[in-house]
Amino acid sequence: MATEEPRYYDLRHLVGTSTHIEIENGTIEAAGQSFADSAIVRALGSAGWGMVIIDNFSEAGDSGLKQAIADALALSRATGERVELADVQTGVLPVPAIKEDPREVSLEEKTQLLASIESAARLPGIVNTRAHYVESEGTFRFMDSSGNEYQYESLRSGYSILAVAEKGGEMQQARESEHSITGLNMRHKEGKAREAAERALLLLSAEPARGGTMHAILDPELGGVFAHEAIGHASEGDLVKEGVSVLKGMMGQQIASPVVTVVDDPTLPEFGFMPVDAEGSAVKRTEIIRNGVLANYLHSRETLAVVGEGVAGHARADGSSFPIVRMSNTFIENGDATMDEILEGCKTGILLKGSRGGQVDPGRGVFQFNAEYGYLIVDGEQRGMVRDVSLSGDILSTMHNIALCGKDRKMTPGYCGKGGQSVPVTDGAPHLLLKNAVVGGRHA
Amino acid sequence: MHNVTDYTDLVETVLAKAAREADEAEVYLSVSDSVSLELRRSQVGEAEKAVSWAMGIRTITDGHIGASLTESPARWEDCLRAALASGRIADSQAWNGLPEPVQFSREIDTFDSTLIPDAGTATDLITALCNAAEGGEGEIAGGGVSLGRGSSLIANTHGVFYTRESTSASASLEVINGTSTGYEFDHVTYLRDLNTERVAKEAMFFADYWAGAGDIESCTADIVLTPSALSQLIGGILMPALSGRNVHAGRSHLADKKGEPCMDSSFVLYDDPYVGKGATRWDADGVATRKLDFIKDGTVQSFAYDLRTAYRYGETSTGSAVRSGAGGAPAVGVHCLKLDARRDNVREEKAICTHGLIGAHTANTITGDFSVELSNAAWVENGEYGAPIRSAMLSGNLFAMLADIAGAGEEKRELGRMTLPEVRFNNLHVIGKEQ
Repeated sequence: MATEEPRYYDLRHLVGTSTHIEIENGTIEAAGQSFADSAIVRALGSAGWGMVIIDNFSEAGDSGLKQAIADALALSRATGERVELADVQTGVLPVPAIKEDPREVSLEEKTQLLASIESAARLPGIVNTRAHYVESEGTFRFMDSSGNEYQYESLRSGYSILAVAEKGGEMQQARESEHSITGLNMRHKEGKAREAAERALLLLSAEPARGGTMHAILDPELGGVFAHEAIGHASEGDLVKEGVSVLKGMMGQQIASPVVTVVDDPTLPEFGFMPVDAEGSAVKRTEIIRNGVLANYLHSRETLAVVGEGVAGHARADGSSFPIVRMSNTFIENGDATMDEILEGCKTGILLKGSRGGQVDPGRGVFQFNAEYGYLIVDGEQRGMVRDVSLSGDILSTMHNIALCGKDRKMTPGYCGKGGQSVPVTDGAPHLLLKNAVVGGRHA
Repeated sequence: MHNVTDYTDLVETVLAKAAREADEAEVYLSVSDSVSLELRRSQVGEAEKAVSWAMGIRTITDGHIGASLTESPARWEDCLRAALASGRIADSQAWNGLPEPVQFSREIDTFDSTLIPDAGTATDLITALCNAAEGGEGEIAGGGVSLGRGSSLIANTHGVFYTRESTSASASLEVINGTSTGYEFDHVTYLRDLNTERVAKEAMFFADYWAGAGDIESCTADIVLTPSALSQLIGGILMPALSGRNVHAGRSHLADKKGEPCMDSSFVLYDDPYVGKGATRWDADGVATRKLDFIKDGTVQSFAYDLRTAYRYGETSTGSAVRSGAGGAPAVGVHCLKLDARRDNVREEKAICTHGLIGAHTANTITGDFSVELSNAAWVENGEYGAPIRSAMLSGNLFAMLADIAGAGEEKRELGRMTLPEVRFNNLHVIGKEQ
């Protein structure tokens, strides 16, 4: 009997270094580096994927690669679902230029820069300040049995500052962070630290939000989380393929207000940038919703082959994990409404600002996300500050309730978790007016 | 299958070199093998094997603590250099030394010698999982089975050299019925304890029962949080507030409440590091673990300390260090947390019972305020499920809730590092979506 050969195999190998610095209340707690060296080898046998993840792969050599392919092929015999891969364009984009290379800045200097940010947050009334710097750099190498081979360098860095205010036993916190793919971004950022501290102090006297159904204005940061949670995840081809997305079978239908266009664009030089996706496919701007109509799903090669109606190049992996369909830089396009028009359209409701993250159950079509703070809107004017305010809703009904899109889109970097993997992303939107939103708060 | 004892020579070489360049040093090594199968609907679409190796080095010189991590044995010298460099930058702190070796009088039970991570065993389990899910209206959307075997080692320049072996088996299933989803999982040490049938039946029940869910009006109601829902709030809000580091650093709601009754008088919370999936005789600093009472009779008894935090603030380590810090360094955590309160039939009187919370991670971790979407929630009364709720939000404050507990169920469930019953809380605000 002839030896079975894989229908396809690929290798993705990361060798990299991560740097972290942590300063709390003026004390340098940690400032160091760690080293990654891990690979994933995937093989398609007669049915589905077999794969092997190996730490310390640099030592493996050619024989190690052959063995890994054989092991992956053997594992694939445990699968039953026949996987096909769509033909896709390949190619690697140039990595955006780096303005100041953090690798050329000493750990001591980076620690000093972070210390300056951390100390700027120590205003009267602030009882805790905590700053982090994270930098990850590495070389990704990819090759597959179709003859594709590429290698690129990845460099991401950023900082965060958290300030905790206390008064009479009450505590509140606020956070600012900035992450980038274009180099060191820690110089002259003391103002961001003061912003966090001042907001934590203001939150001490903010009222808990009153829950209920009301009109809501979402700021660009929270609007971005809305685009990501409410639409982005449900458009991911793997969820559509497995039948756990409410957007399954809705291609070409009006699923949102005509003012809404939602895009995922891995080519933008933002924190979610990818020069090529995790299985070698070329990346390109993908309109998920165009003028309210569902236009494309996000795909890997596998999900494109099964589901169609979308664009490949959206497979991503956390380090040497298995590539899955993910977002990159996701945003709601600018509309034409001014802020005055949005406030007037809201009349009475709530303005939600900042984000503490969100979550979605794409099968049920239910999402939730939390603002860092907000303001009451009364007669079209911004009034008192409120805290601990969240928003939830049904994807399909809520998207029709976006009445106005501003023209002031901003992008905010962050991380997205799915399937136990965390990848860097950017979300963005202009100010949005959402009619009849379900707002959560402790007051009835 | 590799084991940390295969690398004893390397560990001793690292410690010998480190001892020449630092006052003290410690090596932590973790290796594991695992096999997992993932379902795409009812067929296996992925079979994965992972071979992991990671080594953390910590050095201490004049109270300057440095740490680094590598996934490559060949880069141990880079890792040691990075740890030493890191120590030179970190501020000095009060430090009274890494621990000396001790004799342990009790054993732990975290290893199933019969559990071998292989595709054949995993295939049998996933077949059983899928077979048990037949008969419902819902369809399998995903899930999987995973088998793992690992070992870890900690050694320091004072002669500590401890090893620990562990195994794990897990199964999960996701079912969908229209737009109603159900998810359940199990995660055990011993293969024989893995209950694929319960996982399948529960996931199918959730998807099918909630297929007919409706909306409710906003109301104030008692809420029963099942172990899976409760664990999200306990892990995200209460445990950080009991970390000695957060207490002394000024970001714990409980900082000034030690010795004060501040929760329901029946509320109990403790770490028993000898019983549970996270069981270990030594913590991530190499300090012997012990039972730690966090809350007794509703009163805060102790906070958790690792060695570093304890030295800094003049406290004693509670053996609570876990490997969750940056660069593989130890940080304050728990091993096997146990929670309890007065026993009651929590589903007897009318209440809303929820199995999951969407967005629990968005809670205000300092104040305890949260506002989340319910998942698989239903009215319960007389011990029976009533009308399933399609969608509603729950808003509250965890610390206030823990002061107003109506009761805890008899049955407990182990979820990761926590073992907890379902708990009923009085009078919480629910925002319904009925127009």
